[in-house]
Amino acid sequence: MAGNFWQSSHHQQWMLDKQDLIRDRQHDLAKLTDEEYQKIFNFFASIIQVLGEQLKLRQQVIATATVYFKRFYARNSLKCIDPLLLAPTCVFLASKVEEFGVISNSRLITTCQTVIKNKFSYAFGQQEFPYRTNHILECEFYLLENLDCCLIVFQPYRPLLLFVQDIGQDDQLLTYAWRIVNDSLRTDVSLLYPPYQIAIAALHIACVMLGKENLKPWFAELNVDLDKIQEIVRAIINLYEMWKSYDEKKEIQALLAKMPKPCPAPQR
Amino acid sequence: MGDNYQNKIMAPVMMDYEFKMKTQNERSKVEDLFDFEGCKVGRGTYGHVYKARRKDGSDTKDYALKQIEGTGLSMSACREIALLRELKHSNVINLIRVFLSHTDRKVWLLFDYAEHDLWHIIKFHRAAKASKKSVMVPKGMVKSLLYQILDGIHYLHSNWVLHRDLKPANILVMGEGPERGRVKIADMGFARLFNAPLKPLADLDPVVVTFWYRAPELLLGARHYTKAIDIWAIGCIFAELLTSEPIFHCRQEDIKTSNPYHHDQLDRIFNVMGFPQEKDWEDIRKMPEHATLVKDFKRSNYQNCSLSKYMDRHKIKPDSKAFSLLQRLLLMDPNRRITSEQAMQDPYFSEDPLPTQDVFAGCQIPYPKREFLTDDDQDDKSDSKARQNQQQQQQQQQPNTQQNQVQANSHDHAANNAKRMRMSGQNQGNNPQGGQQEFHQQQQMMFGGQQQGAGSQQQQNFQQRF
Ligand SMILES: Nc1ncnc2c1ncn2[C@@H]1O[C@H](COP(=O)(O)OP(=O)(O)OP(=O)(O)O)[C@@H](O)[C@H]1O
Ligand SMILES: [Mg+2]
Repeated sequence: MAGNFWQSSHHQQWMLDKQDLIRDRQHDLAKLTDEEYQKIFNFFASIIQVLGEQLKLRQQVIATATVYFKRFYARNSLKCIDPLLLAPTCVFLASKVEEFGVISNSRLITTCQTVIKNKFSYAFGQQEFPYRTNHILECEFYLLENLDCCLIVFQPYRPLLLFVQDIGQDDQLLTYAWRIVNDSLRTDVSLLYPPYQIAIAALHIACVMLGKENLKPWFAELNVDLDKIQEIVRAIINLYEMWKSYDEKKEIQALLAKMPKPCPAPQR
Repeated sequence: MGDNYQNKIMAPVMMDYEFKMKTQNERSKVEDLFDFEGCKVGRGTYGHVYKARRKDGSDTKDYALKQIEGTGLSMSACREIALLRELKHSNVINLIRVFLSHTDRKVWLLFDYAEHDLWHIIKFHRAAKASKKSVMVPKGMVKSLLYQILDGIHYLHSNWVLHRDLKPANILVMGEGPERGRVKIADMGFARLFNAPLKPLADLDPVVVTFWYRAPELLLGARHYTKAIDIWAIGCIFAELLTSEPIFHCRQEDIKTSNPYHHDQLDRIFNVMGFPQEKDWEDIRKMPEHATLVKDFKRSNYQNCSLSKYMDRHKIKPDSKAFSLLQRLLLMDPNRRITSEQAMQDPYFSEDPLPTQDVFAGCQIPYPKREFLTDDDQDDKSDSKARQNQQQQQQQQQPNTQQNQVQANSHDHAANNAKRMRMSGQNQGNNPQGGQQEFHQQQQMMFGGQQQGAGSQQQQNFQQRF
């Protein structure tokens, strides 16, 4: 239920298995390497993030939109729906579910246009944001169907706040861990692990970064599967490793060109 | 990108043709799976509700299909789907499935069918009272209803969901069948998660709860919804069940106002409850509309008013357990109002007759089934016409309501102004069944575990009024 993760659709239907994920991505991974696939998701997660920020949405809403996006492509190939359309659609749907008040259609489209033009011209060049309200609305139905109407997503932010409270309020630690949770949205962890585990992993990384040795006993006392936490830590560290040697501005055009694309209806 | 140039001049291919065709073929249409034509049973602000049967005859149960008003996914549709998708409790209506109709962009929700609701049940009793007829119901029925309402709300509240629109029309009761006499809280369109409100809730929809069931703190401008607001509404419903009259009935001309302050409604509450003493509600001074309250109202005008006098006039003794629980639910100070959990522990529920799972306790259900509405009287809102219709068409079923002074709120009117039609048998086609992917299996939960076995005793225990 909405307040209880263990009875939620998130836990019961959307904790995916790593092997299933790999299998469902077969089609895309025939055309893209694992790393290229990751980079493409990283890019669209940025679009969702920037769109959300421009629309003044809370991080919680942005995170939910990102999870919708990932859930859709966990079950479908990138070619099924153009991710440039799905990304704003996820933002639109998440803002309604998370009670932010409805974003007007025109404001959404205008924001997409300016964001694509001003912030992502390195990827799309002179190409304008090509979609209109009717495309978003049509896409929204497909999204809702593919999500099987599971719209409430649990995020690591709330457990994170509780853990930091338990540790004894530490603003620097919270800031670091919070950002790491944001970064984790660019990996698959939100599809694979419960949010409280992601929060713990983020805290763990933050402690290492800040050299906080004194929290070791706190971690040791937690009643969690430390292997799982290690897996999450590794996924996030891998992302940071990837970022070190990656210049999105230079590479993304080639990646987008390589990405599987929707095919139109056959010509008669 | 190599295909930049092309993309600029051609409309983009947003969706893969093969994907589109595949999903289209797999998608089942509501009208292919269900028969519901001409079977409209309800009309609310947010949709039309139909009584439906499966076409393939794989079961002969009745279902309720709610077609959400307007097209596409409104915010309230999103909220209703999002929450109902997660909720699972025997006293909360079960969302079986969602149908999205891509061609006309309509959203349909499939629920279990509930033959009765408290609006109709209370109306039936009120009409009987007016014509001095008696209705035979088990003695513990009100108690059972209240217990199950509290149970459902307790579940919602402990899962961080506020209902926010509790009123008799939204409390459904199951008819004959495996869940006979079970309360189902419905209409979650307004409900929202309150563990992390992203905006002050009062900002979003100007007017939310029907005024009669609105807690005094809301009428005084409280900015946030709370569990206590739902509890007040339950108190109002309890009183209405006990007396057949809406306890805080108030004429309402302009219900669309965005101002929460409502003089007449507050006046009505004080007329029943008396004007709150400082010591009873210390924080009343902090309410946004407190200054207006002080300006508009004189304590001395309500000197002789009290809940016990009001209820006594309606034959509910101030020393009864029912009254003492009612008083705890209807405390003016939201901080003192009891929680659903405390209410369920109240001695009222451990006193004979004990609450039963089947609120009818195995007795015959005296209320008529829902009638079908026709489409052509949507705009008919005149009260007199409604009464005529009811008189003409319901004479055998229901006593007339002519002397009935109580007015329903506007949409309930609309729903009841409709012309009634006799129930017609539903035809059952034999369409091959598509892949059924419904959310939860129908559940048969036991009632709380504690209160059981009083049913048989109660069968003999009728009372005339309830
Ligand atoms: N599951 C059901 N079974 C039978 N009848 C139902 C069911 N759900 C709703 N109804 C009938 O349809 C009416 C309208 O339904 P509902 O309250 O869900 O819609 P609404 O438009 O959101 O209402 P409101 O105007 O109260 O907000 C109800 O008052 C009830 O009479
Ligand atoms: Mg309703």
